Amino acid sequence: MTGVFISFFALLAVAFAAMVMWLRQPMRAALALVGHMVSLAAIYACLGAHVVAVFQVLIYVGAVMVFMVYTIMLLDDRDASCQQPWSMLAIPAILVAVLVAAALWMLVGKQPAAAPVAGAVAGDIYTFSAFSLAFMKHYWFHFELATVLLLIGVIAAWTAIREGRNG
Amino acid sequence: MIQDLVVYLAYMGYAIGFMLGIATLFTWVERKQSAIMADRIGANRCYIRIPFTNVKLVAWGLFHGIADGAKMLLKENFTPLTYDRFCFNLAPFLAAAPVLLVFSVIPFGGTLTPGQLLPQLHDFFGDRSYAMQVASLDAGILVVLSFSGIGILGTMLAGWSSNNKFSMLGAARAASQMISYEVSMGLALISLVVTYGTLDLNTMVQWQSGLLFGALPAWGIFTQPLAFILFLTAAIAENKRVPFDLPECESELVAGYFTEYSAMKMGLFMLSEFIEIVVVSALLVTMFLGGYNLPYLTDSGFIFPAGATWALPHLAVVLLQVGTFLVKVVLAGCFQILIRWSLPRFRYDQLMNFGWKFLMPLAALNLVVTACVRWWTI
Repeated sequence: MTGVFISFFALLAVAFAAMVMWLRQPMRAALALVGHMVSLAAIYACLGAHVVAVFQVLIYVGAVMVFMVYTIMLLDDRDASCQQPWSMLAIPAILVAVLVAAALWMLVGKQPAAAPVAGAVAGDIYTFSAFSLAFMKHYWFHFELATVLLLIGVIAAWTAIREGRNG
Repeated sequence: MIQDLVVYLAYMGYAIGFMLGIATLFTWVERKQSAIMADRIGANRCYIRIPFTNVKLVAWGLFHGIADGAKMLLKENFTPLTYDRFCFNLAPFLAAAPVLLVFSVIPFGGTLTPGQLLPQLHDFFGDRSYAMQVASLDAGILVVLSFSGIGILGTMLAGWSSNNKFSMLGAARAASQMISYEVSMGLALISLVVTYGTLDLNTMVQWQSGLLFGALPAWGIFTQPLAFILFLTAAIAENKRVPFDLPECESELVAGYFTEYSAMKMGLFMLSEFIEIVVVSALLVTMFLGGYNLPYLTDSGFIFPAGATWALPHLAVVLLQVGTFLVKVVLAGCFQILIRWSLPRFRYDQLMNFGWKFLMPLAALNLVVTACVRWWTI
């Protein structure tokens, strides 16, 4: 039963990802991305990784996508560039899609696809206390490093705004 | 397996009925309570005439809810000239659905053993027992925050796709306000998590079933009084109600982000606001007011501090717990409506200053003090 749900949400995630690429209207592309994130969260929840599922929705949908939609809302979406059926970015996109497909094809040959999914389904639910212990014992330094990167991002954004105002 | 399905389907039915029923009740309370506060009679025009008689059943204006629903369903569903009809139609659902989902992690009773309720049920259910909660997740509080974050998308989408400057301004205000107050709300909740040592709402309620100083119930409002005030303030701001109703204030923006909506789509926005009152009340009750706990009531009956006991059958305990939760939620909702009719509206700069320069530092301070106290008492 869990396998059926995982397959369903995986198909949904791929469909939404394709829509993100295909749709020309920025707001609709952003909504498709929201759908994609929620589908991914559903897959994680089916696999018993509730921690990852909750953070997927909380951070990516509740924070990142909300800001993205906010920005799109304030843009003039009747800009002519949205009306063009294709942009030159389609060429690298197709190239990367082919490369990803090729990489997946090579992986399928080496490893039976069913094994990791079945193992994960049979596993226990990864609880928040287990996550917190692992996080504070092993990954605290990586997390702090990421906050430094975020700080650099904030300073860069602030500088860009100041430059824009002065200019 | 089939027994689990029956129980969880019943829970889902109860949760949806609970939210829609009490939300409808609150539309009436809002009218009647404001009338009492302003020394008016209030809603009294709707009645049902008993057939073949001249007897009009007014029932204190309770039928106004039915009249409202019928009006919204029967009105013309007018769609303005918008450049994205799909987003315009999607927005009300995106605003209302996440609010309904939040209730899934809130426990509305203790442990249910259906086999002990009635002798006839024992053959079917055996000795199985279930926590009275639709989804028992250990990430309870984070699920609440995740789903309430999705609701912002619906509000923004409604304002953006309406092709109306009032709607657009309302949406920009709503999004800024909701994002700003979510920070204070999150910090207030983290203080609570530090106190209880869990994210699971059911464990939080069980934690509150104890006693402080031998007699006072160990409710969150007594252990974290500042977090209670911070959470209540931030929750009213998240719900965009007076004194934080800048996104939809009628004197400036007609109706804000849902100006262009009519019929049931407008009804969905209104209903989601009232369902949000129910959800906020349920969260307040669960995290600060002891949830379904009645002082001295345990799963076997009453145990008083002096040592006296009063054993009760399982059915009575379940009914008492569910009833206690229901009454507490209604009272907490009435208190929110009391605030709504007591305070004047903020100016927008005051609202932002209040959120960022007053509430957030206070919430951060509360968290630091809580963490220090927890560190010393562990």
